[in-house]
Parts: sequence; C-alpha cells; structure tokens
Amino acid sequence: MEAGTLTRPHAGVHAEHKAGLRSTILDWLLTTDHKKIGVMYIWLAFSFFAIAGVFALVMRAQLSAPGLHVLRPDVYNQIMSLHGTFMIFFWTIPIMAGIGNYVVPIQIGARDMAFPRVNAFSFWLLIPAGLLMLSGLWLQGGAAAAGWTGYPPLTDRQYSPGPGVDLWILGLHLAGMASILGAINFVVTILNLRAPGMTMMKMPMLCWNVLITQSIILVATPVLAGALTMLLTDRMFGTGFFHPSAGGDPVLWQHLFWFYSHPAVYIMVLPGMGFVSQILPAFSSKRLFGYKGMVLATAGIGFIGFLVWGHHMFATGMDPGLRRFFSFASMVIAVPTGIKIWSWLATVWGGSIRFRTPMLYGLGFIALFTIGGITGVWLALVPFDVQVHDTYFVVAHLHYVLFGGSLMSIFAGIYYWFPKMSGRMYNEFWGKVQFWLVFIGMNLTFMPMHMAGMLGMPRRIYTYQPQFTIWNQIASVGAAVLGVAMLIFTINMLYSLARGKRAPADPWDHDEFNKTLEWKVSSPPPAENFHTLPVIR
Amino acid sequence: MTRFRRTHAIALAIGLLALLGGVGTAWAWLVNPVTPVAHEVRDLWYKAVGVTMFFFVLAEGILLVAVLKFRAKPGVAPATFHENIKLELVWTAIPALAMVILAGPAFSTLKYLETVPKSDLTIEIVGHQWFWEYRYPGQGIVFANEPLVIPANKIVAADVTSIDVVHSWFMPEFGVKMDANPGRVNHTWFQVERPGTYRGQCAELCGVLHGDMLITVQVVTPEEFERWIEQKKKGA
Repeated sequence: MEAGTLTRPHAGVHAEHKAGLRSTILDWLLTTDHKKIGVMYIWLAFSFFAIAGVFALVMRAQLSAPGLHVLRPDVYNQIMSLHGTFMIFFWTIPIMAGIGNYVVPIQIGARDMAFPRVNAFSFWLLIPAGLLMLSGLWLQGGAAAAGWTGYPPLTDRQYSPGPGVDLWILGLHLAGMASILGAINFVVTILNLRAPGMTMMKMPMLCWNVLITQSIILVATPVLAGALTMLLTDRMFGTGFFHPSAGGDPVLWQHLFWFYSHPAVYIMVLPGMGFVSQILPAFSSKRLFGYKGMVLATAGIGFIGFLVWGHHMFATGMDPGLRRFFSFASMVIAVPTGIKIWSWLATVWGGSIRFRTPMLYGLGFIALFTIGGITGVWLALVPFDVQVHDTYFVVAHLHYVLFGGSLMSIFAGIYYWFPKMSGRMYNEFWGKVQFWLVFIGMNLTFMPMHMAGMLGMPRRIYTYQPQFTIWNQIASVGAAVLGVAMLIFTINMLYSLARGKRAPADPWDHDEFNKTLEWKVSSPPPAENFHTLPVIR
Repeated sequence: MTRFRRTHAIALAIGLLALLGGVGTAWAWLVNPVTPVAHEVRDLWYKAVGVTMFFFVLAEGILLVAVLKFRAKPGVAPATFHENIKLELVWTAIPALAMVILAGPAFSTLKYLETVPKSDLTIEIVGHQWFWEYRYPGQGIVFANEPLVIPANKIVAADVTSIDVVHSWFMPEFGVKMDANPGRVNHTWFQVERPGTYRGQCAELCGVLHGDMLITVQVVTPEEFERWIEQKKKGA
C-alpha cells in the first residue's frame, strides 16, 4: 500500500539533538510535541492535585471533632470551594486530557495532534488559570468561598465583595477555553488523522471514549462560559441576570451551571472508563467484551447526560412535570452505565488475570464505581433526593463516582502507561501497597459520609452537631490513610523516574489482539511516534 | 507469588464484605421519621434498596468470584468469547425494566409530598444570613432567632423564601427540605406526629456562618400551642 511508505526524513532528528540544560528547558517550554505536552499536563495536574489534596486533609482535620478551630469559618469555605474547583477543573479534567494527549495520537497511528500549537496553547492556559484562582487566598477578602457551584446571590458583589469570586470566574474562563480548544483538537485529530485502515470501529476503546468526552465538552463548556460571563457582568457592570430585584433569577444560574456541570461528570469519568477498557482486557488476556455495545453505551451516556441536569435542583421548587422528566431520565442513564459494568465483568470472566498494579486499580474502579452508580439511582428518586440533597450523602455519592470512578481509573492509567512515558518501570510492590491503602482509605473516608448524610448532616459546614461525630472521625482517619498512600505514590514514581528498571516496548506482554499501537513503538516512543506510518488491516 | 495473589484475593474479599456491611448498617440510619411524608420517603428508600441491591450484589459478586477464580495459572488458557448479543440484550432490558418498576412508587410518593393538603396552620419561613425568621400571618406573629413552635398532628403549610442569598430549610426527621430562594416563594407542608423538640439546619451554602444556621422546632400539643399563641401576642 501507498501509505506504508510515508516515511518522514526528519523524524528522529529531535531525539538525536544533544541537549544542555538551557536547551532542554527551552525544548519543553516551546514544544508542540503531543507527548511532551501530555507529560506536562500530567505534572501540572498532579501539582494541583497535591494542593487540592492538602486542602482536603486540612478540612478533615477541622472536621475530626465538632467545634474545632483548625480553620476559621470563612477560611474553611474558601478551602472547601478551592478543593472542589481544583479537583474538577485542575486535576481530573486536565490529567485525563494529558493521558489522552499522550496516548490517543499514537493509538490511532498519528504523528501528533491535528493542531500542535493550539495543543500547547491549551496547556499553557491552565497555569495562569490555576494561579489566578489560588491568588485569592492572599488577597483582601480571600479566595472564592461559595463552593465549586458558585450560586448567586452569594457570589454577587453584595455578598462576596472581594476579588476572590472575580478571580474564580476568570480562572474558570481560562480553564474552559483550554478545554474547548483541546476538544476541537481531539475531535479533529480522531476524525481525520487515523492511520490508513484504522476505521472508526477498529479504534481502541479509549479513543472512542475520548472522542465522545471531547464532543460533550464542545457542547457543554461554552454554556458554562456564557453563565460565567453573565455572573461577571452582574458583578462588574451592574447587569441583573441573577438579581431578583432587577427581574433576574438566581435559579437561572443553577440551570445554566448544571447544564454544563452534569455532563462534566461524564467528562470526568468517560476517559477513565476508556483507560479501564484497555487495562482489563490487557491483564485478563481476553478481548474487550461487547465492543459495539460499549461504543453505543458510551454515546448513550454522552447524550442522556445532557438531559438530567435538573436532578441537582429537585429542592429548588421546580415544576412538577420537569421533576418527573429529570427523575426518570436520571434513572435511565443507569442502563448504559450498567451495560459498561456488565461488559467489563464479562471481559474479566474466564480470563487469565495478572494482578499488576494497573489491573488492581481497574478492578477497584469497578467495585467502587458500582457503589456510586447505585446511590446515583437512589438520588434520581425525587423524594429520597430531597431528603439527602445537600447533605454528606451527596458528598459520599460524588466521591464514589469521582474518587472511586475517575481517580481509580486515572491511577490505573498512570501505572499502565508510566513505563511507556518514562521508559522506566515503577516499583510493583509499592504500587500494590499504595493501591490497597487507597482502596481501604477511600472506603474509610467516604462510606461513613453516607451515614452522616442520612442522619441529616448538611455538606459545606465548617463544624457540626455532636450526633455526627463518629462518622466524621472515621472519615478523618480514612483521609489520613489516603494522605500516606499519596506520599508513597510520589516517592515510588519520583524514584522510578530516576532509577527505575528500563522498560521494553511492551512491558506488559500484551496478547497480539490487545496490543494497541503505543506498545509497538519504543518506550518512550520516538519523536513523531512512527518512523513509518502503520497500516492497519 | 501464589501466596501473594491469594493475600490479594482475601484482602479484596474482606474489603467487599466491609462495603456490604457498611451499606447494610445504612439501613438503620435514615433518621426517625415523624411525619407521614418522612415515613413515605423511608418506605420508598427501602424499595429502592430492595431493587438496586440485587444488581449491586450481582455485580460485586461476579467481580469477587472472577478475581478468586480466574487468576492466571500456567497451562490454563483464557477463554476467547467477546460478544453475546442475547446476553447483552438481557443486561440492557432487565435494568431498564427495574427502573420503570422503581419509577412507580417514586412518582406516587412524589405526588403525595407535592400536594399540599388543606392546612390547619400556615406559616412563612424567611431565610436571612444567618438566622431564620418565622411569621404566622393568621395569628399576626413574627419573630426570629427563636424555635419555631407548631402543634402536633396538625397540618402545617409553610411558604419558604429568603431575603438575601439562597438558603434551604432542612428538617431531616420531617422529610422536609425546601430551598429558600430570594424572589420566589416555595411551598411545603408537614404534620408532625409526636410532640417534642426537633433539630435541623440550613442545607444550602449561604456564607461564612452557614454551619451555624441551626433550626429548632418545638412541637407541642394543640392546647399548649393556643396558650403559646396568646402569650406571644401579649409579648409582642
């Protein structure tokens, strides 16, 4: 075939370039290579994760007994708001973009993303975005303190007079812009740059998940940008979109916000489901069960995900007909989610399972995400939702989805592709120890929150009534375990980056049918990925 | 190496059992309902648990068995199946059916709690940063920062709103949570079965002292309530 001879004479030139420190730094600063950008995304996301994680630990210290004064109430609200915002916009979304950036172009047999400079621009936007938002902590009036949801009128100038909320809005705007540009880039790349013979239905599952995720971003994120702009003009220029006194309505914000932020849950979990869909077959020595069904289910989740935002608003006094619509749509989304879970179980069933760290995380993902899915069905039932809405039950539910789901899958992906990205192996023993600490610590932290919420403990409170004490103490112990686990992870990975054993092209000994293209090139892959573009039959 | 894997499997089993135990204890913990609505909510939750536990146990059970049974062993080849349309249709249809079945009780409970019956007493609840104001328009009483007093076994209709930011009036044992939105009035109702003192608190982040915006409701006998009204009128 023609395509088999598409060799680029200059491929590999960069790799041979002998670099001093100065040119190494310049190389990273100016790079448009999707792999380097992916790696930078991962470093940046882990840095923000560390900050947001410390915020979480400080909150758990404050809540380890009622009536403590570790944090002042106003500072608690800032820390709590930044924890949520950072975990979502500066950890989960960017790290998935980072892993996707690294892996997807190789998996589809491309040399880079479609728009390499736009790709670099997306990444570099995230640093000022995060710093803007954090800077509020050192300014008069503090950082934004209205939760990651930023409901007006609390975020209006009258009730949040300092610059914190403005910085929060601008930070989100930049992060949103990065997301939208990235989405255009991913969609164009996957649709247009696939190697000869790589039809859509031959793409690895991860590519489908990324394609669908990025399509969701393309539709949803501009709506958030619009809502943020309205909030900003309310604060800055005296418009009244969300002011009842000016004919506006604060509930409008909630509609616009959740129109983005419910699909955002799928933005945060679908790429991770893609990682798991690669890892479970790889370590079971089986093909992914029901590929077509998986693709359809993922697309279904992406579509129905736009029809359920109202379930965040059942207690706002919503129209009864709408309540029923959003309720039933939210229950329906359990069906495609179920298809994915059953298909993963069928993938593992009958396999030859090798319990390496990525696999442990993949299996842990199924175990924990299922719990988040079950409580999600309960929350779709309006009367039960109203009972536990805005309590710790919801905090527990969302952490089973975003920690048990997203974070477990991210760690699965990081362990899985670490040898590919760094060219070195991590320490397997400490990887496993870390998995078990995370698995146990996660359940210790978040399971008791279900009980506290059912007993009536509201979320986002800086201290609590004595009847909630025991559940909070267990949660705080769990959080400490998670902190230790993350330290172990950091040491393991940093040590392995410097001293780890050299990784071969395919350190996991994939079966031929599971060997996606990234495992057929060296670890790390050469510049522009392929000396000769692959042809898929 | 085998011993190592076995430890993993045992640990996973213990972990899953602990999870099940955790979910199990949750059964006991949906507060003590003291209104007809709260009873309905708890009954609905039991039904939801009943329906979803089947899928939960099935999924976690299959996972556990797979982990224990299908460890890679030398000489044992992995299975090769990777699709089965019938099976896929079944695991699409059965959960879908379960959701339709669950929607029945969910919607009837919803109808029950949405329909405010003819009330014996109407009150207005107004959220402020960071206290609650209560008004009894029929009796001409207004006060703030004190417990709400209502008669037992009477139907109380409440109009909920806010003067500043969004608050939420949340009484766990009543099964009542209603957002207090500025510029809107929401309606809810409750009929408390037993006299006593009940506690709740604001459930929507409303600023610095959100955590201190507590609610106390004193439920008294109708006779005591009449006396309290008279006293309150004189006092005002």
